[in-house]
Amino acid sequence: MAKQVFTASQVLTAAQQNSLQSNDYNQTVSTKTASYTLVAADAGTRVVMNAAGATTITVNTSLFSAGDTLVLQNIGAGTCTVTAGTATVSSAGPLAIPQYGSGTLYFTSTGVSIYFPSAVTASAGAMTLITGADFSAQTSVAFANSTFTSTYDYYLVMLDAAGDAADTNLSLQVRDNGGTKSTAAYFGGGIGQLANNTQSTFGVNGATSFALMQTTSATGRNRCGWTIFVSSPASTTKATIWNGTATANPQTGASIGGWHFGGEYGVEEAHTGLVFTFSAASSGLYRVYGLANS
Amino acid sequence: MKIQIGDEVRNMTAAEKANHDAVVAEQDELTQRMLDDAAAAASGRAKFAALGLTDDEIKALLGV
Repeated sequence: MAKQVFTASQVLTAAQQNSLQSNDYNQTVSTKTASYTLVAADAGTRVVMNAAGATTITVNTSLFSAGDTLVLQNIGAGTCTVTAGTATVSSAGPLAIPQYGSGTLYFTSTGVSIYFPSAVTASAGAMTLITGADFSAQTSVAFANSTFTSTYDYYLVMLDAAGDAADTNLSLQVRDNGGTKSTAAYFGGGIGQLANNTQSTFGVNGATSFALMQTTSATGRNRCGWTIFVSSPASTTKATIWNGTATANPQTGASIGGWHFGGEYGVEEAHTGLVFTFSAASSGLYRVYGLANS
Repeated sequence: MKIQIGDEVRNMTAAEKANHDAVVAEQDELTQRMLDDAAAAASGRAKFAALGLTDDEIKALLGV
C-alpha cells in the first residue's frame, strides 16, 4: 500500500493500519513491463522492472519529499537505466541496473535524489581490483578462494616477488576451491631476451605445473615483476590460458632480462585462482584485477 | 612447510606438500635442461670461434 495522507477526523481502519505496517515487513511491490516514470505513490515501495529490452525509470521533481526512499529492481533481461527527468539523480556508481540487480533511490529534497546501486555488472572497459595480498617467507602462495568467477572473462595478475636468501624458481598452477590442479596438462613455453644479448627459451609439454622462470634473491637485484593475463578461468568449456611478460632472471640464472611466456591448463573445467610455488622462501605481493569483456 | 591462501597462512596438507615437492622437482629438471642447452650452445660457439669465425659471423650463420 502506498503512503497515505490522513486528515483530521478521518477514521483509520484496521485494514489500512495492517496494510501500512505490512510494507515494513513485506514490501509493497509494483512490477513494470515497460519504461516507467515514478509517481508519488511509489515512495517507500519496491519498483520492479521486468522487460526483455532496455528500459528506463524516470525521476521527476515535485513528487517526493526529503527522506523518501524507493528500491528499484530489475528482473528482466533488458538493462534498466535510472534516468533523471526533471529531478537530479547523482550516483557514485552506474545508473544502469543489470538483470537481478537493484539499488536504492533516496531523496534529499523534492528535486534532488541519490541512487545507491547494490549490484552492478562490469561496465565496458572497467578494470576492477578483486583481491591481493602481501606475503612473507612463503614457498607457496595461492589466491583467495573464488577469485576467478563468471563476472569477468579476463584477469590481470601482477606479481612482485623475490627470494628471501637465494635465487628461487617460480611455477604457476591453476586452482579451484578444492585445491591445486596438478594433472599433467600444463603446456606452453617462453622466450627471453637477456641483458647480455643472448636469448633463452623453455617449454613444457604435459607437465604438472607451468614453470615461469627464476627470480633473483633479495640480496641481489631484489625485485622481479610479472604481468600475467588469464583468460576464461571460470569457463567449464574452455581451457584456462594465460600469457604474460616479466622482468626477471631466466631459469638459466643468466643476467636480468625481459621474458615473454604463454601457456594453458588443458582441462576444460572452472578454476577459481592461481597458486605460485617458489623453490625457496620468497616475499612480495600479488594483485588481481578483473577486466570486462567489452 | 606453509602455504598462504589469500591472507591466511597455514601448514600445508600432505597433498599440498607432495604437490610442492613435485613442482620444485619439475623446476629443477627444467632448469637443468636449460643449463645443458646453454652449455651446448656455448661449446658450439667456442668451436666456431676456434675456426676463426667472428661473433657476428657465427650469429649470421646460425640465423640468430
